[in-house]
Amino acid sequence: MSGPPDVGHRDRCAISGIGATRFSSDSGRSALSLATEAALAAIADAGLSPADVDGVVRCDLDAVMHNDLAHALGLPDVTYWGVSGPGGAAPGGMIGQAVGAILSGQATAVLAFRALNGRSGARFGRGAAGAGPGRARRVGGGGKYDEFFAPYGLVAPGHLFSLLARRHMIEFGTTEEQLGHIALACRARANANPAAQMVDRPLTMEQYLAARMISTPLRLFDYCLETDGACAVVVTSAERARAGPQPPALIRAVVQSAGPEPQVGFLYPALMRESLTTQTSKAAAATLWRRAGLGPGDVDVAQFYDCFTITVLIQLEDYGFCAKGEGGPFAASGAIDKGGSVPINTSGGHLSEGYLHGMNHVVEGVRQIRGTSTAQVPGAEVCLVTSGIPVTTSALVLRRG
Amino acid sequence: MNDVPRLVPETGDHDTGGFFAAAAREELAVCACAACGAVLHLPRAYCARCGHWGTVWRTVAGRGRLYSWTTVEHQVHRAFPVPYTIVLVEPDDAPGARLVGYLPGRPELVAGMPMRVWFEPVDDGGTRLPQWTPDV
Repeated sequence: MSGPPDVGHRDRCAISGIGATRFSSDSGRSALSLATEAALAAIADAGLSPADVDGVVRCDLDAVMHNDLAHALGLPDVTYWGVSGPGGAAPGGMIGQAVGAILSGQATAVLAFRALNGRSGARFGRGAAGAGPGRARRVGGGGKYDEFFAPYGLVAPGHLFSLLARRHMIEFGTTEEQLGHIALACRARANANPAAQMVDRPLTMEQYLAARMISTPLRLFDYCLETDGACAVVVTSAERARAGPQPPALIRAVVQSAGPEPQVGFLYPALMRESLTTQTSKAAAATLWRRAGLGPGDVDVAQFYDCFTITVLIQLEDYGFCAKGEGGPFAASGAIDKGGSVPINTSGGHLSEGYLHGMNHVVEGVRQIRGTSTAQVPGAEVCLVTSGIPVTTSALVLRRG
Repeated sequence: MNDVPRLVPETGDHDTGGFFAAAAREELAVCACAACGAVLHLPRAYCARCGHWGTVWRTVAGRGRLYSWTTVEHQVHRAFPVPYTIVLVEPDDAPGARLVGYLPGRPELVAGMPMRVWFEPVDDGGTRLPQWTPDV
């Protein structure tokens, strides 16, 4: 064998099953119930039964622990479990852990899931610091570093991403309308997807620009849809996936990255990184493309983590689909739309399908490889799926097997 | 008026307490490596650049440049009625550090504009918060 050692996982595992619940603003159910439903759907889709599953990987923010789900599903045992994060940075890393578990012989069929009542329960957009009654007025300490952010009203993820967006405008002249093109592309794809919460709500540029400002320069439609729901996938060896009922989505490569300059904490300390307009996605991309033996020119369709429009714009640059600073004109060019050079977020993404913390992007990536998306890119063979920024990130490349 | 108690920084943390101890004296100080002088912000006890344990609180001039900002229009936290503006400032003499500030309302701001620090009392116990305002 030759070549760098980190290509050792290339195409050796696959996503063989996908599952999702309905996405809503109020599920009326527990996160465990949601996780169970999505997991059962993914297991059945893979042609397996719960008795075949021996690994569970979760997101660090999930209320459902690996053993909770194992119990609910009646798994005979769990011989591998793992956790990735923080938060939306998790999904690519979760798939990576599943691959590692399978290739090292610690498990043979691994569930990766994300379940949350993100709208009816605890909402990210409400801010984490001291919002509720009974919370201490003092914030930070103990390595949280919130003391440098929360006392100034920097209390919600949108505030941080607004600072990133403003900085991108300062450095490169990016416009609000260019961000709007990302919102419109996601919405147009959602309009074709019956599972998307915005299926029946078309969006025009006039409506986008007329929408209320949330935190400048980001408006209502630059923000994703906090959502109740769950998604799950089953990862197995490629060989086992080929024996299953669905066309396997080969996991061409996975990556996690905390670089450059790894930062502490969950979110706000990322404001200390030297550049706010080049993110962990840049370091992740370099590793991912090397591991995949592919580049952005090989990608037929991409699912970009889109907690906000600016998140997509920065990643378009960092993954090399356009030069740094040109994300705005690139987004406005039609390149990210149906028929463009890199159609994005074909289920509607977080902006218009639902905010399942990056896991619905993995599910939709598999659909593209299978040819079953409601916004199918004809002949799609390679799909990039990314997870959240800015403190850390992760991503994967899926390929038709 | 907003009668919700504001958020007060924890000032007793091992790594970050010196920042607020300086602020209580109306001084702006950043954590720096006692050996190589690297600015260690956010504050921490170990310098990964030179491998030294041991830091000092370096008093800086309290002048800086506006790096980015956002005006918050949608109410998120009861302690922060909208509109208000969050500023991100790079101090002139603390390379690598960025500090956050709060301005009421929707001030007219320009990237790179000079900013200066002031110290806002935030409780009855002497806690002060370094704040930034346009230096015009």
